Amino acid sequence: MTELENRILAEAQRLLSENLADVVIAFKQADTPLRPQPAFFTDAEAVNDLVYNGLCQNNLANYLTRYPREKKIAMVVRGCESRSVNALVLENQHPRENLYLIGIPCEGIVDWRKIVEAVGEDVLSVQDQADIVVVRTPKGEFTLDRAALMHGSCLRCTQKNPLGTDVTIGKPVAEQDPHLLRERVKNFEALGIQTRYEYFRQESERCIRCYACREACPMCYCEECFVDHTGPRWTESGVTPAGMQGWHIIRAFHQTGRCTSCGACERACPMDIHMTYLTDKLNTDMYDKYQFVAGLDAKTQTPFAAFNLDDKNRFVAGGTSK
Amino acid sequence: MDTAKKIVLFQCQWCLYAPEDQDWVDHHLPENVHLTKVPCTGRLDPLFILNAVQGGADGVMISGCVPEKCHFKEGNLSARRQMDEFSDFLNYVGYDEDRICFTWLDLQDRGRIQKDVAEFSKKVEALGKSHSLNTRSVLPQGGAHD
Amino acid sequence: MTYLLKKSEVNQTLRAWTSKAHVYAPQKVQKYAQFLPVGEDFELSVEEPHNTRFPPKALFLPQSETLLKYNPQKRELESAKTPDQPRIIFGIRPCDAKAVTLLDSVFSSEDNPDPFWQARRDQSVLVGLGCDQPCATCFCTSVESGPFDRSGLDAILTDLGDTYAVEPLTERGVSLFENLTVASAETTQTIQAIQEKATREMPIAFGREGLKAHLDELFENEIWEDFAKSCLGCGICTFLCPTCFCFDIVDEVRKSTRERNWDTCMFKVYSIEASGHNPRPSRRERTRQRLMHKYSYWLDHTGQTGCTGCGRCVRYCPVGLDIRAMVRKSVATPSEVPHVD
Repeated sequence: MTELENRILAEAQRLLSENLADVVIAFKQADTPLRPQPAFFTDAEAVNDLVYNGLCQNNLANYLTRYPREKKIAMVVRGCESRSVNALVLENQHPRENLYLIGIPCEGIVDWRKIVEAVGEDVLSVQDQADIVVVRTPKGEFTLDRAALMHGSCLRCTQKNPLGTDVTIGKPVAEQDPHLLRERVKNFEALGIQTRYEYFRQESERCIRCYACREACPMCYCEECFVDHTGPRWTESGVTPAGMQGWHIIRAFHQTGRCTSCGACERACPMDIHMTYLTDKLNTDMYDKYQFVAGLDAKTQTPFAAFNLDDKNRFVAGGTSK
Repeated sequence: MDTAKKIVLFQCQWCLYAPEDQDWVDHHLPENVHLTKVPCTGRLDPLFILNAVQGGADGVMISGCVPEKCHFKEGNLSARRQMDEFSDFLNYVGYDEDRICFTWLDLQDRGRIQKDVAEFSKKVEALGKSHSLNTRSVLPQGGAHD
Repeated sequence: MTYLLKKSEVNQTLRAWTSKAHVYAPQKVQKYAQFLPVGEDFELSVEEPHNTRFPPKALFLPQSETLLKYNPQKRELESAKTPDQPRIIFGIRPCDAKAVTLLDSVFSSEDNPDPFWQARRDQSVLVGLGCDQPCATCFCTSVESGPFDRSGLDAILTDLGDTYAVEPLTERGVSLFENLTVASAETTQTIQAIQEKATREMPIAFGREGLKAHLDELFENEIWEDFAKSCLGCGICTFLCPTCFCFDIVDEVRKSTRERNWDTCMFKVYSIEASGHNPRPSRRERTRQRLMHKYSYWLDHTGQTGCTGCGRCVRYCPVGLDIRAMVRKSVATPSEVPHVD
C-alpha cells in the first residue's frame, strides 16, 4: 500500500467511525488487473481493500445521484471529479452540506487501452509507479513510460487539483496550459468540413449503442433518456447511421456547459470511439461566448440555464445568419 | 421539383404579424419548403433541427420574434443561446452552418418572410445537395406526419 | 484425417473461397479485430490470443435487422428476404462457435424457428481456430467447454507455428480442405498434445457442482446489491456476450419498416411494462438477471450453461466487474433458504 493510499484509508476510517459519513466512495482492487472498481465503504472495519492509482478510470461523481439527498457521502475526488460534483450540486442533485470531499491532486489517469496496445490484451498485473508503469503478462514483464500512457483527456486537463474539497491529501501538482483543449478543437476545425464529417461518420459507425458513455457520465442522470422515448421516437432505434449519429450529437449537446472533460465516456466505450472531441468543442465555445467553465463553483448558472438581452450571436433582427 | 433542394422552415406561430404573411406561409410556400410551426422558438429542441437534417433537409430556416417581442416574454432569448451553439456544433461535426438560417421578424417586417425564404432558397440552391448527416430515409413531399 | 495449411497460403485460400461464398474472417478495425467480409485487400488478424471484440453472433443475429417493410404504393407488407448466400466463417474461436449452437436452442427451436437465423445457419460453414494460448480472462473449461471445443464447428485449426493443422469435422468441412497435404501420424500426435496441454493448463474459475441450486437459493440475497453498487448499467457485457440474444422489435414509422434490435436486461427500459410498472426496477435485479440467466435459467430451459467462458464481459467492463468473481462470491455466500428434503 502506498503512503497516499494509507492516508486516504485513514481518512475514510475516521469519517466512518466518527459518523461523519454514511458511505465513503473510493476505489478497491477488482478482480481484473486493468481496472480498479468503484467501492462503497460503510464500515470503518472493512475499509481494507481500498486502492488509489492511475488506473482508477471512473468518475466517482457518477454515483452521487444514486443516493438520497439526506445521505452523508464522502468521496475521493480528483480535479475533474470535484468539478463534476460542483456541477451536480448546482443542478440540485445533492446538498453540498451532505458531502465530504477527499481531494487528491491528480497525476493523470493511465489509459488501459494504451497498455493493451503496448503489451497485448492479456495482462496479469499492473503496478503504477511514479514515472513508470510495470505490467506483467504471460509474455513477460514490461516497463512502460507513464507519461505515454496517459489518457487523452488528462493530457489536456486544465484542473488537476481538486476544487472546494473538505480535505486534500497529497501535494498539489502543477496545472497545465489551459489552451490545450482549445488547440485540439481549433486543429480539428481546420481540417475542413468534409474531413470533419468523414471522421464523425467513421467514429459513430462503430457505436454499438450500449450507452456505456451515458452510464459512465456523472452528468447523464436523466430518469428517461431521449433515446428511450417511444412517443414520439426521437432517434432511430437501431445501429443505423441516423441512429448512431443522432445519439452522439445529442448526447454531447446535452452536456453543453455541464461537461467537465473528464473523459469517462471515452474510457468506458468498448469500441474505442473518440467522442471527447465533441464535448471539447462545446466546452471551448461556452468559454469563448459566455466565459463559462463547468464546475468551477456550485453557484454560477450554466449558459443554457440563463440568457441575456445583449447576447451577441447569429440571431440578428431582420437578417439572415451571421 | 425533384431537383429542388429541400428546406425545412421552423416558424414561431407569433412571429408573423400580418395575416397575409401568415397566409402565404400556410398556403403558398414553394413546394420544396416544408413548414413546421412551433408555439415559440423557445420550443425548438436541437432534436427538431437534427431530425430535419437527418431527414434530408438541405437547409433549415428558423423564424422567430425579435427580443422583447416574444409572446412568452423570453422564449426567443433562451432559444438564441441554444440554437446558435447547436448550429456551431453541427458545423463542427460536418454540416455546413450556411445551411442553417435564422431570421427575426419585427412588427414592421411585413412581407419580409417571402423575401427571406426566397433568398435562403437561392443560397441553398447554390450550396447544392447536402451530403452530411442526411442519413434517414428521404422526407416525403409536403411533410411527414407520424 | 488431419491436413496441413501453410499460414502463408491462408490469404490465398480465403480469397479463392470468395468465388463460391461470402467469406468472413477477423480483421483489424482501429485497434481491435472484428469479423468482416474478405475482400481483395483484406488483412487477417488472428495472431492475438484473444477473441474478436465484437461477438460473431452478429453474423447470425445482426444487431439491427429489418423484418418487414410496408410498401406505401402497393399498400401492403413485404417480408424481408431471408439471406440465401452461402458463407464461410474463418477463424471463429471455439467459445463463439459453441455460443452459436447454444443460440440454436433459442432461434432454431422446432416449434418456432426464426427464418432469418435458420437461413444464415444453414448457409454457413464454420472454420474454427482452437486456442493454444488461452487468455487470463478465458474460462471456457469452467463452463462445459474448452479451448478446442468442437461444438458447432465444421473444421478446427490448431496453430503449429508456420502452419495450421486442419481437422475437418463435417462433410462441409471436408469439402473445403480436400486438396491439402495430409499430416503425418507424428504431427497428429503433436496436435493432440497441444490441445490437451491447453485444456489441462487452464485454471478452473469456479466449480459448477450444485451451482445452479445454490444460485436459485440466493435469489433474494443481498449479495446482488453488492454487485450492483458499482455496476454502471451499460450494455457492454451483454452486447459483447456471444450468448446474449435478447432483442426488441421496433416499428420505424418514418422508414415504414419493422426492425429487430439487440436489447439488454441491463437497461431499465428493457423490462418496463406498458403500465409503467417495472419488475426489475433497480440495478440489483438487473445484475442478478444477467448472472442467473446464464448459470441458472439456461439450465432450466436447455440443460446447458448459457455462458461459454469467452471472457469479453470480464475484459471490457468499465468498472472491472468480473463474472467469475461474482460466481465465486455467490458460492461463498451461504444461502438462507433452509433445505427441505
